[in-house]
Amino acid sequence: MSSSKPAPADKALNRGGFNLEAIKLGGWKYPAFWLALGLVLIGGFVPVITGTNTWRETMFLILMAVSLASSLNIILGYTGYVSFGHIVFFGLGGYVGFYLIAVHGWSLWLAAPVGGLAAGILALLLGKAILHLRGAYFALATIGINEAVRTFVNNFDLFGGPVGLELNFLVYKDYGGPAAMQWSTYWAVFGLTLIIVVLSYGIKFSRFGLGLLAIREDEEAAMVMGVRTPSAKTWAYVLSAIVPGMLGVIFFFRNSSIAPPEAFRLHRSIEFIVMVMLGGQGTVLGPLVGATTYEALRSFLLTSPLFKDLQLAFAGLLLLLIVLFVPTGIVGWLRSRFRSLWRILE
Amino acid sequence: MKRLFLFVMLLALIFTAVQCGGAAPAPVQEKAKEAAADVKEAAEGAADQAKEAVDQAQETVKEAAADAQQAAEETAADVKEAVEEAVATEEPAATEEPAAEAAMTGEETVVTIGYTASKTGAQEVPSRGQTHGLELWLEQVNQDGVTLADGTVVKFQAVTYDDESAKERVQSLYTTLVEQDGANFLISPYSSGLTDAAAVIAETYSKIMITTGAASDETYQKGLTLVYQLYTPASRYLTGAIDLLGSLNPDAKKIAFVYENAKFSTDVVDAAQKYAESKGYEVVLSEGYDSETTDFAPFINKIAAAEPDAVMGGGHFNDGSTFARQLHEKQTSVEFLALLVAPPELDFAELGDAALGVVGPSQWEPQANYTPEAAEAAGVEWYGPTVADFVSAYEAKFGEEPAYHAAGGYASGLVLQQAIETAGSTEPAAVQAALDGMNLMTFYGTVKFNTTPESHGLQEAHEMVYVQWQKDDGGNLVKQVVWPVEGQSAEPIYPLAQVP
Repeated sequence: MSSSKPAPADKALNRGGFNLEAIKLGGWKYPAFWLALGLVLIGGFVPVITGTNTWRETMFLILMAVSLASSLNIILGYTGYVSFGHIVFFGLGGYVGFYLIAVHGWSLWLAAPVGGLAAGILALLLGKAILHLRGAYFALATIGINEAVRTFVNNFDLFGGPVGLELNFLVYKDYGGPAAMQWSTYWAVFGLTLIIVVLSYGIKFSRFGLGLLAIREDEEAAMVMGVRTPSAKTWAYVLSAIVPGMLGVIFFFRNSSIAPPEAFRLHRSIEFIVMVMLGGQGTVLGPLVGATTYEALRSFLLTSPLFKDLQLAFAGLLLLLIVLFVPTGIVGWLRSRFRSLWRILE
Repeated sequence: MKRLFLFVMLLALIFTAVQCGGAAPAPVQEKAKEAAADVKEAAEGAADQAKEAVDQAQETVKEAAADAQQAAEETAADVKEAVEEAVATEEPAATEEPAAEAAMTGEETVVTIGYTASKTGAQEVPSRGQTHGLELWLEQVNQDGVTLADGTVVKFQAVTYDDESAKERVQSLYTTLVEQDGANFLISPYSSGLTDAAAVIAETYSKIMITTGAASDETYQKGLTLVYQLYTPASRYLTGAIDLLGSLNPDAKKIAFVYENAKFSTDVVDAAQKYAESKGYEVVLSEGYDSETTDFAPFINKIAAAEPDAVMGGGHFNDGSTFARQLHEKQTSVEFLALLVAPPELDFAELGDAALGVVGPSQWEPQANYTPEAAEAAGVEWYGPTVADFVSAYEAKFGEEPAYHAAGGYASGLVLQQAIETAGSTEPAAVQAALDGMNLMTFYGTVKFNTTPESHGLQEAHEMVYVQWQKDDGGNLVKQVVWPVEGQSAEPIYPLAQVP
């Protein structure tokens, strides 16, 4: 499955670093890579083709969901660790970036990477502390962390405490006015989605990714085989946190205010887990398909005259059916059904 | 390490690309906007021409009338063309269609009002009241419509979606409302956080948005120009309670604030503390509690130790009513208790004796003393139904007494209606001017907006009323308005007889 040529020595594996060599060495040949990338590219340009802002807003939500679900997939799907409170990275990154923009007048383009970095650092510290926990204990710990960070921010005066922070509307002038700002933030989310899809693919077909898959299947066996599990898990966790942190900054910048309950909403976390499961965890295409299906469905139901009052009940019923009859997710089901699709659907 | 470095480089690269890429579509947008503006101008010009022509027709003889009609027809054709062009060029312009139609037909036009409501999620209950109020207004206004100066009758329709009490989809839904559903005017969602998100869209598309249920001052202090607040802002929620305390007991000196650690209550209490201190009160205790608090014993002990003359605070319904009950159970000596949000709700009476004497700020109450006579005395214009008419119509339609959220919902439509009537047009610029100049009393109270650039749209005139739970002759708990003095329906009870 991986690159035909072994990576130089076992350095990457031993250090637990990730590598993009799979792509360099032969990953390009896989149709699955181009399929995933092509789907994002086509989706991303839909608003330009249709020329309506309604489509842009819909695609903004879908792309955001895709990149958040794909990020989560790195730790949930590849490594097999259920990060239940993953929204904490979105919230904390958002807060750090928003603070820099609103209080210190930074540019969004500088603040967003810093927000991502902050989320990454949090994941690094947390990874050292809680990634030795297994199964439900890890999931519980991540919920606890989300609540802890929310309470901390609620009492942290620098971030406005319970009142949160507000952005002056005039700031959008620096980005060409609110209408132009909405486009540029859209392209930023589009760019981040491309990055995370390439990254997901790169990780999966690298030695680092194989190490993660081994951890998912049997952590002890992986350790015996020479996978440095603690550092591999930590790096997977960090990688899954950076993009959500950056997205948080962009999202709250766009909405012009931030407050603790909306930044650390556990409900959102659960939605992302559902998206990953729906599409098929552990596959590159799965989160993409899952997040798109879920978001599109919700958006459609919310705005359709027939279902708009019943949308939650309808969405719930559909999810129940999927979980009952297609537990491996859409992509998993297609793979098991049509063996010829194995090379295309990864 | 090298790979990590490469990754960071890649991120930086994409972000630079994004920045350049982001700038590119802007001109397209600007162009579309320009086109929209041109069309709008053309439509406005045509509308004026048509109006002139109609006036002329009325005054002059048949012959001239025929000419005028021809002119009107021509201009109408122009407008139609312009509108078609607008539809073809770019969506935002399409929303000008009904306004242009008004000039075209001179008969009836439909104005679309767009808003999201929290049909599910945490804000469901207050948001439902707001929606009910708006629905009642819609039903009543459409009986006759609003007649403009040129004889056009304006009717209203509303388009609404569920925002799930969450921010994620608010901007997407408001964009849909404006672009796809052609909303001419917007009403805010419930709560300040969601309104912040919606305001960005309103400003982007130059749509007027009346806010109700969005009390935070900060929303209106960040450079918005088209957002108008109906609620008394958070900074004035408890100041009246402090005035009430002063009138009841000039010797009271010490106030304790115990409040929910959330955006709204913190905003309110911060402002109230400043006000109290400016009035010479001493804040002897200021403690925030977590939203899920169920045991207030530690706070009650602190209150007992501080021996304040008054306790103020609270947050939302559950925590506020629990706090009041536990204060009562512990027989704490409190002479004056004012809590946010919970006391105006009818369910608060379920606390029994613990509710007795508790004061609460409310945006509006059915006993409110706003009448055409009061308006005349205050030298402002009166508009819309009387308090009694509103209450009975609401009860007939929904089978319950309206709370202030419902009154706010109705008033948001009413204010828009009055502005359109004053402007004599549904043109955004004219309506905006009418709102800026508004100084009005309705059943909901007075309405006047700040027009300075620093806090444009902030509510200036509307006053809170303060309710207190008292016992009637039959020993039943009833809600009475005790402040301001002009609106009093009963004398306030003071001090609270909580110590047996």
